[in-house]
Amino acid sequence: MRQRVLAFITVFVLGSLSLGTGASGAGAPVKNPDTFVRLTIGDPESLDPASDYETAGQEIIWPNVYETLILYNGTAIDKFMPLLASEVPSLANHLISADGLTYSFPIRQGVKFHDGTTLTPEDVRYSILRFMLQDRDGGPSSLLLTPLTGKDSTRDNGKITMTYAEAAKSVTVQGNNVVFHLAHPFGAFLSILAAWSLVMPKAWAAAHGDWDGGATTWQKFNNPKVEERYAFDHMNGTGPFKLDSWDRQAKQVVLVRNDNYWRKPARLARVVIRTVGEFTTRRLQLQQGDADYITVARPDQSKVEGMAGVTIRDGYPTLIIDYLSFTFKIDPTGNPDIGSGQLDGNGIPPDFFTDIHVRRAFAYAFDYGTFLRDGWRGKATQPNGPIPQGMAGYDPSIPKYTFNKEKATAEFKEAWGGKVWSTGFKFTITYNTGNVARQIASQIIKESVESLNPKFKIDVRNLQFSSFLALTTAHKGTMFALGWAPDYPDPDDYARPFLASTGDIAKRGAYSNSEADKLVDEAGVSVDPAKRVAIYKRLSKLAYDDLPQIYLDQRTQFYVMQSWVHGFYYNPIFSDNLYYYVISKE
Amino acid sequence: MTTFILRRLLLLPFVALGVTMLVFALLQFLTPAMRASLYITDPKQFSALPDIIRKYHLDQPVYVQYWDWVRQVWHGDLGWSQTAREPVLDAIRGYFPATFELGLYSFAFILVIGIWLGTASAVHKDRLIDHISRFTSISGASLPTFVWALLLLMIFYGHFGWFPPGRLSLDADLFVRSGHFHPYTGLITIDALLNGRWWIFWDALRHLVLPVLTLTYFLTAVLVRITRSSMLETLRTDYVRTAQAKGLDQRVVVDKHARRNALIPVITLASYLLFVNLLAGVVITETVFNYPGIGRWGVGASQQLDIAAVTGFALLLASLVVVGNLLSDILYAFFDPRIRLQ
Repeated sequence: MRQRVLAFITVFVLGSLSLGTGASGAGAPVKNPDTFVRLTIGDPESLDPASDYETAGQEIIWPNVYETLILYNGTAIDKFMPLLASEVPSLANHLISADGLTYSFPIRQGVKFHDGTTLTPEDVRYSILRFMLQDRDGGPSSLLLTPLTGKDSTRDNGKITMTYAEAAKSVTVQGNNVVFHLAHPFGAFLSILAAWSLVMPKAWAAAHGDWDGGATTWQKFNNPKVEERYAFDHMNGTGPFKLDSWDRQAKQVVLVRNDNYWRKPARLARVVIRTVGEFTTRRLQLQQGDADYITVARPDQSKVEGMAGVTIRDGYPTLIIDYLSFTFKIDPTGNPDIGSGQLDGNGIPPDFFTDIHVRRAFAYAFDYGTFLRDGWRGKATQPNGPIPQGMAGYDPSIPKYTFNKEKATAEFKEAWGGKVWSTGFKFTITYNTGNVARQIASQIIKESVESLNPKFKIDVRNLQFSSFLALTTAHKGTMFALGWAPDYPDPDDYARPFLASTGDIAKRGAYSNSEADKLVDEAGVSVDPAKRVAIYKRLSKLAYDDLPQIYLDQRTQFYVMQSWVHGFYYNPIFSDNLYYYVISKE
Repeated sequence: MTTFILRRLLLLPFVALGVTMLVFALLQFLTPAMRASLYITDPKQFSALPDIIRKYHLDQPVYVQYWDWVRQVWHGDLGWSQTAREPVLDAIRGYFPATFELGLYSFAFILVIGIWLGTASAVHKDRLIDHISRFTSISGASLPTFVWALLLLMIFYGHFGWFPPGRLSLDADLFVRSGHFHPYTGLITIDALLNGRWWIFWDALRHLVLPVLTLTYFLTAVLVRITRSSMLETLRTDYVRTAQAKGLDQRVVVDKHARRNALIPVITLASYLLFVNLLAGVVITETVFNYPGIGRWGVGASQQLDIAAVTGFALLLASLVVVGNLLSDILYAFFDPRIRLQ
């Protein structure tokens, strides 16, 4: 009897617990029709628009909660639509001065923040100054500081060196206009503002202990710890969604529709963005209809293919370029990666890669086809230079290096007067731990080059990310694999880092080319699009000829979401984030 | 007894000090740049590395860093967890109830099933139930937790759609956050009952089924083996044979005479083993089931070198182990009157 009662209770409990469940699939009714559930792998570092500089936070901040003066128009990365400004400045409408130094933005009337207060030009000015002067270590402030003040930081070696006047004179209010005064003409300025001119109300920020906008108080708010600001976990923007909650323990952000939005309110009432680290769990939640859109790594793509009710939108070219960089002047001090430090078969000299034949030999020795197949499941293309396809200035006529062992051998035989071929070399390539594609690239170059001559020896080692960056910045790396994603979609944000001697990537590789420097600066300050395009094409050719890096891939993006999700469009600047304003579930 | 408890509790600060010193010492094997990696997510941020190292005092000697941390703790601040995006103390306060709830249900199942199966296995040695029990123990101990967890998830959620991952479903979660639900204890099932919200109680229970099953299967194996061997030993003792010879009912002999005594070593050993294993088990279980507990946070913090979080986590574990051991000693004395705690 006791066993029967127990059995009955067990069946009852299990039956009750399993009620209300069922899988989704083709033709299944839309689950939670006004709530969008997005499962991702990273959680925001901060919700402060002046502090956050990573993609998980950006998905919430821009343009879903905070808005910018202008925004990329639909799928375009070089055309803009007005958002908080009522017009996009141009030379034609005289909102950009002829010398390219002044940009005026008439501010849209009647826009309300989420707290009900009205947007004013002073709020815009305050937000821009706050963005620049907060200048957190590793934050995004340099993006506006550089064009507006000519300096990339408010500090030098930890000490504040900028004055308030320097920053304040670069952004002024003139009537209903906010006017930017650039330190020098900068063709990519609109592109930067389209992503980084995020606006919050000055009174709200000051009332919650943030900077009050005063000339004498800003230093106290410079370089804070991210969590020290009220805006770290509170938001007050003008966007189509408001922050409802950020549960840091559940790793979940809930946004709710802003019914007082200055445009027609969004169709979704709620957006839930949750971090789910385990892929299988994300996949099963998608399968059950409990998630609308999940993050899937390229190697896992086959596991979601053919899933009922699920659509894979694939093949969107990203703006990310992966590359193998040479270090032109390697620091030999205590550097085991260059072996003996001489061209004696047991090492390489510090200037090993300054010989163009060495660089070309490596470029010809790389098996691009295998890399694209194994590293990206074939869903990437080989770039012909630092400027990606789809970007102004991309020139399809520039040739690409191809995998050709004969040419590689011939180049090695010419390198260093034939000594490379006769004595051989030994060095170590590094990549950052956990990056499978870069690991594959490093292995490919090792195996391919070693197969050319038994005297060629390459070791591969992985390093934790910061150590890897420390090593390469100190010029202790030999060849290293890295990737570049832009902060703003303009060829300047490729040509400068890859080719200018002051650029991030070139500097890391100790590469310097005076002609490249001149052309990059020339294109950077020009506001004539045609002239800029012509210069970037020349720079791409220069990159092919001088070969400071081997350009490995321009990967494509794919999205895995329920078929009931509508309104999606691709703009590479959003990466895998969504602009929820245009999304609906039907 | 009171003196014993007080003395053991007085040890706690020393254990905590030792453990945290060890954590700090071990972290010194990593360079300041490596420890600063927590704040670097993009190569573009790298130029800020020296400032980051300076800001978080990562270039200071270990004793300076440790002393800063001790002073901070003295003021009730365990530091900021960059992975939890909140103070370590708040993170522990928030994550612990979820793990405690998971552990509580699992522990109840483990005790009931483990002791029953271990006893049955010993009483019916080399019979079918014994074989089943031994098979369960061996497979439970040898099958990796994450495999078992993923299997359960794929079958009972992926195929049947019965028991979802997470802690609550969307509707329940939104209701709990709506302000109409008072979190008395942080244990959702208990809070749901206290709020009179049965549907939330059932929802939370549905989400607990698979994690509890995972932990139960994983940990019952330990208890079954201990109970079985202890019971086998006890069943061979003279007093049990005397009881049987007197013609007492076998159920009475097993339940009242043998099991009570057999449980004494089980309590001490199992409480420790279960406790340690439970902590290990929740790490995987919470990760697979996306359950917002302390294990998932601990793993994330360790992987990303979140020093404040790792130290706080170690401190919590050390305290729990000390308290767990103390409880097991007290239970030991309670169940065996021959033992006197001094």
